[in-house]
Amino acid sequence: MTDYAIRLRGVTKHFGDHVAVEDLDLDVPRGTICGLLGPNGSGKTTSIRMILGIYVPDGGTVELLGGPPDHEHRRRVGYLPEERGMYKKMRVLDHLAFIGELRGVRSSDGRRRGGEWLERLGLSEWADRKVEDLSKGMQQKVQFVATVLHEPDLLILDEPFSGLDPINQDVLEAIVRELNARGTTILFSTHLMDQAERLCRRVCLISRARKVLDGDLREIRAAEDRGDVAVEFDGDAGWLDIPEIETAEREEDGWHLRLRDDVPPRVIVERALASGIELRRFERVAPRLHEIFIRHAGAEAAAEAGRPTDVRVAEAVR
Amino acid sequence: MKSAVFPIIKREYLERVRSRWFIIATLAGPLLFIGIAVLPVLTMGSSGPSELVVVDRTARLLSTVQPGLEAAGYAVTPVADAAAAGTDPVADHTRRIQDDEIFGILVLDSATLATGRARLTVANALSPIREMALRQVIAQGALVTRLSADAPEVIGLLAGGTLDVEVLDDEVEVEGSDFILAYLGAFLLYMTLLFYAVAVMRSVLEEKTSRIVEVILSSVRPVELMLGKILGVGAVGLTQLGIWAVSFVVLADVGLPRLMEARPELATLREFASVAPTAGQLLLFLAFFLGGYFLYSSLYAAVGAMANSDQEAQQAQAPLVILMIVPAVILPGVLENPESTMAVWTSLVPFFAPVLMFARAVSGWASGAEVAVALAGIAVTTVVVAWIGGRIYRVGILMTGKRPSVRQLWRWVRTG
Repeated sequence: MTDYAIRLRGVTKHFGDHVAVEDLDLDVPRGTICGLLGPNGSGKTTSIRMILGIYVPDGGTVELLGGPPDHEHRRRVGYLPEERGMYKKMRVLDHLAFIGELRGVRSSDGRRRGGEWLERLGLSEWADRKVEDLSKGMQQKVQFVATVLHEPDLLILDEPFSGLDPINQDVLEAIVRELNARGTTILFSTHLMDQAERLCRRVCLISRARKVLDGDLREIRAAEDRGDVAVEFDGDAGWLDIPEIETAEREEDGWHLRLRDDVPPRVIVERALASGIELRRFERVAPRLHEIFIRHAGAEAAAEAGRPTDVRVAEAVR
Repeated sequence: MKSAVFPIIKREYLERVRSRWFIIATLAGPLLFIGIAVLPVLTMGSSGPSELVVVDRTARLLSTVQPGLEAAGYAVTPVADAAAAGTDPVADHTRRIQDDEIFGILVLDSATLATGRARLTVANALSPIREMALRQVIAQGALVTRLSADAPEVIGLLAGGTLDVEVLDDEVEVEGSDFILAYLGAFLLYMTLLFYAVAVMRSVLEEKTSRIVEVILSSVRPVELMLGKILGVGAVGLTQLGIWAVSFVVLADVGLPRLMEARPELATLREFASVAPTAGQLLLFLAFFLGGYFLYSSLYAAVGAMANSDQEAQQAQAPLVILMIVPAVILPGVLENPESTMAVWTSLVPFFAPVLMFARAVSGWASGAEVAVALAGIAVTTVVVAWIGGRIYRVGILMTGKRPSVRQLWRWVRTG
């Protein structure tokens, strides 16, 4: 057994003239939660489909749970696609049992486990109802249950939180953490950077079919840390016009300051005291993922990434 | 390793067989058959009393008119001419007619013999059809009576004559019932093939448009999904046909004799029982259903995979519909002239064979060799079509956006 749940080496996929994924290397160590981040159309879903053997890459190698992405290995994976479908006319528990059976779970076991999950998610009374009778939020929970029913070693979730209300997002996040604590490796894709920051230990940023950056999230942030500080104070902001500060940006609750290289943050406190300014807040700010992404992929790619969330929700509903 | 095909077959089968639609359609088949076969006879027999009192004043007409009346469903009660006794038989029976005890009283006299004019007394007005039928029976009887006295040799002409056909150089003997069977069977084949092939297409399309297919393909190969679907839907088709066959046999062998015992006037139904197919004919039906089903469902699965919506699927299946309609359209011609070059060759074309070769074989015009060639042709074509269809399916099932052009389809087939 290797230490990696997923290993991609030089993976490339073209659709006609369109380059979907170019020369992608990706390592997902077992037992981690890894985020695959990038704007829409950057190649996340295509990469995931190649990991699962749904698409055959034009070049490069895919290693899934220590082997090729064949039937034997794919059965140990739980996959929740971005566009999730269900058999609308099937009963909820029948649906769960069927998906489980495709992955080698006996029908009776699937029904039992499905019942347990439904109970946990407060959907017990819906077990014998038709899928089409459920609300969209309920359907998404049932889809998630179908994904984890066969107790997979690796969970691949494509934009799992899109279209979920905040309460259900929290429920899902808690379950993802719990499954990870029990040893399940998790790869999930998202275009929401703050979600990734909350959940992931590792991240892989991709933009326009290419990988921009990947690694341990804490290490990345440490490496990208430029000693930015956030301050809040009363009175005139004229004292910020000093050579040690490269840029000062007004935020709703204070100022975000970028310091010139080799300027230690305490200089700001000294300057404030010298100018007779009473600081109400002073803190070191680690760089946000979004910022790191812009730094590496460029503002143009970031503009693509900056598509507002509600547009995507509208798409999901449609 | 356990294949994922089985759960797919199971789901497809159970979901369909449990559906309200399946239960209704399966029951509707035999009911429709009963309706077509029994209802007309029942309604004919149930329209009031059938006893007809006949007074024959010529003393010659009754023997020639009575069989015709009985064939038309009347129970004939001859009464002696009471004119000599000074009573009017019509007046005697009027009360019974009014009380609906008997249908009516028919008086045949010399005028009947001369011009075909007779007198009928009934309670209610006759329908034009009934009146015409009675008139014909009486006139025919008068004609036969007169001719048998003057020129008995002409009577045969009245009955429509007979044709003794002497066939040289032919061992085929065609029964009329086989001809009916060929017609009905071929039509049933056409309907069920089209229906179940389209069911496969709809099922593929549903999985594609609802996006469930991506979940399934993460643990199942496309070819397994397609195969499971075709086998599952096919099993539903066989179940339905099986139920129909069993209920037909039960109806013809048990139901009809009982019914005719209870209601002797329904004797005409015996003809339906004689149409019951033999085991060999059922086997032919099964073989051509399976062959045609696999051939067409592979094509329709590919069509479902390349479409993105019902409308697109409707357009894309147009060529296939034409392919299926052609045999249905030329079927009457083929049955009328089953040995013509056109009939032989079209019935050997794999796409037409399920309907046409079946019809020719059941009606007794196709040799065993021809049937074997047709089935082999269907099998070979199915393999080719399934291979091509499978490749289109594999690519198309995950494709969304514009419908592919023919050139794109060709690329899918090549690179699959």
